[in-house]
Amino acid sequence: MADMGIVFQPKGWPLIFKVPALVVVLMVSVAVVISQLVLVKLIENQEQNLKQLTETYLDGVSTALMPHVIRQDSWETFDVLDRARDHYADIMTRLTLVTLPDGKVLAASNPKVFPIGMAVPIGVIRHFEKGRFIAIDEETGSAWASRPLYEAGQIVGNLYAEIDVSDLFQVRQNVLVTLVVGNTLLTLIFAVGGYVAVRRMVKPIGVLSDYVERFRDGVVEPISEEHIHDERTEFGKLFRCFNKMKEAIDERENLSIRLAEEEKLVLIGKLASAMAHEVNNPLGGMGNAIETLRRHGDDAKVRDTSLGLLERGLGGIANVVRAALVTYRGPGTPDRLGRGDIEDLKFLIHHGVTRRRIELDWNNKIFGNLAVEGSAVRQIALNLLLNACAASPTGGRVGFFVRQDENNLELVIEDEGPGIPPEISVQFNEPHIHSLSNQGGGLGAWTVGTLVRRIGGHVQTVTDSPPGTKITVTLPLAMKGSLADDGDEMEGDGKNAVA
Amino acid sequence: MKAGGIAGARACRRSALKVMAGGGFALAGAVVLPGLVRANSPITFGLTPVFLDSDLEIMALMTRYFSERLNHPVQLVKRRTYQEITAMLLSGQLDAAWICGFPYIQYRDRLSLLAVPQYLGRPLYKSYLIAEIDRDVSDFSGLRGDVHAFSDPNSNSGYLVTRHLLWQMQETPDSYFGRTLFTYGHRNVIRAVSSGLANSGSVDGYVWDVMKETEDTLVAGTQVVRKSEFLGFPPIASAAQPKNPVATKALAKALLDMSGDPLGRKILGILRLDGFVERNPSLFDGIARKYADIQQDGNG
Repeated sequence: MADMGIVFQPKGWPLIFKVPALVVVLMVSVAVVISQLVLVKLIENQEQNLKQLTETYLDGVSTALMPHVIRQDSWETFDVLDRARDHYADIMTRLTLVTLPDGKVLAASNPKVFPIGMAVPIGVIRHFEKGRFIAIDEETGSAWASRPLYEAGQIVGNLYAEIDVSDLFQVRQNVLVTLVVGNTLLTLIFAVGGYVAVRRMVKPIGVLSDYVERFRDGVVEPISEEHIHDERTEFGKLFRCFNKMKEAIDERENLSIRLAEEEKLVLIGKLASAMAHEVNNPLGGMGNAIETLRRHGDDAKVRDTSLGLLERGLGGIANVVRAALVTYRGPGTPDRLGRGDIEDLKFLIHHGVTRRRIELDWNNKIFGNLAVEGSAVRQIALNLLLNACAASPTGGRVGFFVRQDENNLELVIEDEGPGIPPEISVQFNEPHIHSLSNQGGGLGAWTVGTLVRRIGGHVQTVTDSPPGTKITVTLPLAMKGSLADDGDEMEGDGKNAVA
Repeated sequence: MKAGGIAGARACRRSALKVMAGGGFALAGAVVLPGLVRANSPITFGLTPVFLDSDLEIMALMTRYFSERLNHPVQLVKRRTYQEITAMLLSGQLDAAWICGFPYIQYRDRLSLLAVPQYLGRPLYKSYLIAEIDRDVSDFSGLRGDVHAFSDPNSNSGYLVTRHLLWQMQETPDSYFGRTLFTYGHRNVIRAVSSGLANSGSVDGYVWDVMKETEDTLVAGTQVVRKSEFLGFPPIASAAQPKNPVATKALAKALLDMSGDPLGRKILGILRLDGFVERNPSLFDGIARKYADIQQDGNG
């Protein structure tokens, strides 16, 4: 029943079915009305003709009967009725009957049913109760006619005739069948014609629908000229409009590409700025080392220490450059992260730590080589550590915890700073170039967010976790556990405190 | 008819002149009627409705036969009732007529017997009492209360025989039957009974037998309940004192010669008769007795 309900919801039908269905409904309605009119007219004509024929028949027979009825001669009356049956070709009588004024049968064409002297059956008389001279009985397919026989103003008898009019009903039936068959054929022809015409008319809609469908799938093509037969038609105009829309979209896309190129250039500028920022970080320490060398370069011990510091600072810059290359280059073959890669970060932030007398709580629990982009992790950690040092008050504490499990590498950076502004912290998980301020604020966060996102990790920031900020970076490992073939040895418990 | 009659009369005059020129020798096959040469009117021959109700073919053949035999126009005259034909015959309007044995007996002192048809080797026939085929009746007693169809009140087989039968039973048609009607034709009696208009009827046995061959569908609706004894076949008679004795005699001879003529044999074949023969009036004594019986009883 539910299916039937769906099927018989004409509002949901396609146009090519709606129009033929409407044609069928209209044709059937017209056919019913016309058929009714034709049949009514036919019946009127038939009854009129029947009345005329019957009048003629009754006139002729009653004239022949009159002298015999007056004499009440049953034989002669029967003889007239019997002969009249064959003499009136247009009237097919089933029965003719002459009665006397007392209602008794004088003679009938079928004496076995209506013998002489029999009272006229009520079934015959009832046909003429309303004073009609002719009454049609559709059940028996006959018409009953009567004619009183007058002589000198006196009724000498009555003539009744049952006329076979089954032919008339047969003609009506034939006309009805012809009308039904004819109208059905016409309806079918019009319905099929309507279907074909509408299908032809809505064909452009199908074309348009195909192109719109493709447009939805991202393929924007102009409607082929072969479908635009005539631009004066509604569909011709519509197709032209579609093609103009397509051109407008193309222009917009081209504009977008140009804008993207420009944005790319901006991004490059930002990246350059970021690199400068990252390079600048160790430059402070390196400047101190140079200054120390200049003052106490004679002291071999100080010289060695300063040169070592310079060497590590340059190494840090090299790392920053490499990280920038990795960042810009995009994901490549995952490199490794060893314990030493994390430890190197101490040197890179040394300047910031010492300058602000930061108490560094260092806890590195990396063992062996991990299948994760080491350079990216170092870049992430370096950015976050430098930011933590910068955010923390002088003499504050910065915690750095690195640990691993089977699936992930986790970096935790804690500081005692005032917290990260929301517009900056949002860059961690949703880095967006448009969010960068022109003053370069948030570039470190943006870099971290970009790298974390590339690796597939995520950043959790908790501010006011007393006191200060805690940033947790979770990065997935490409392979389970550490690589066994790297042979890195453990360096103590990995925990150092740098004042 | 008039033009044909005049042409025929002229032909007769020419033929008669030829006969006279030839020394009185008759033409082969024709009867010399010197008395008719002066007559312009055709010879008239009356027919009662035996079973010739609408048989135009047999009437045309008979007209042709008599005209050729008599070498003179002959007109067949047909009336609805026996009484009309008998009256015309007695009044001299007909030269001869094929009447029934009953009128012949009624007016035998004023009529002359010319010939009698021979049927199945004898100039005799029977009267039949017939009933509807679907009735279970075996004898006359089963017909009491019927609507009974007679042929003609002056018909021997179609009325007198049954009338006499009832007389013997001390009954009359009105007392014995529920209703009676006259159809003025033996064929009509069969039609009335077959259609159911009448339950039974009195009919000429010869007519019923012949129609059983020719109109079996109609006769099939009837059954014979009783057959009478043999009675004299309806004869051909003329007035005892005919106005044109030569013509009357010529007609009689033509009838008696019919079986020797091809056209005559064709007519006899259609009528299922052997021919016409001369017989003594005593042939109709049986009918005469019946008539006498009902007359003396005062019921006639």
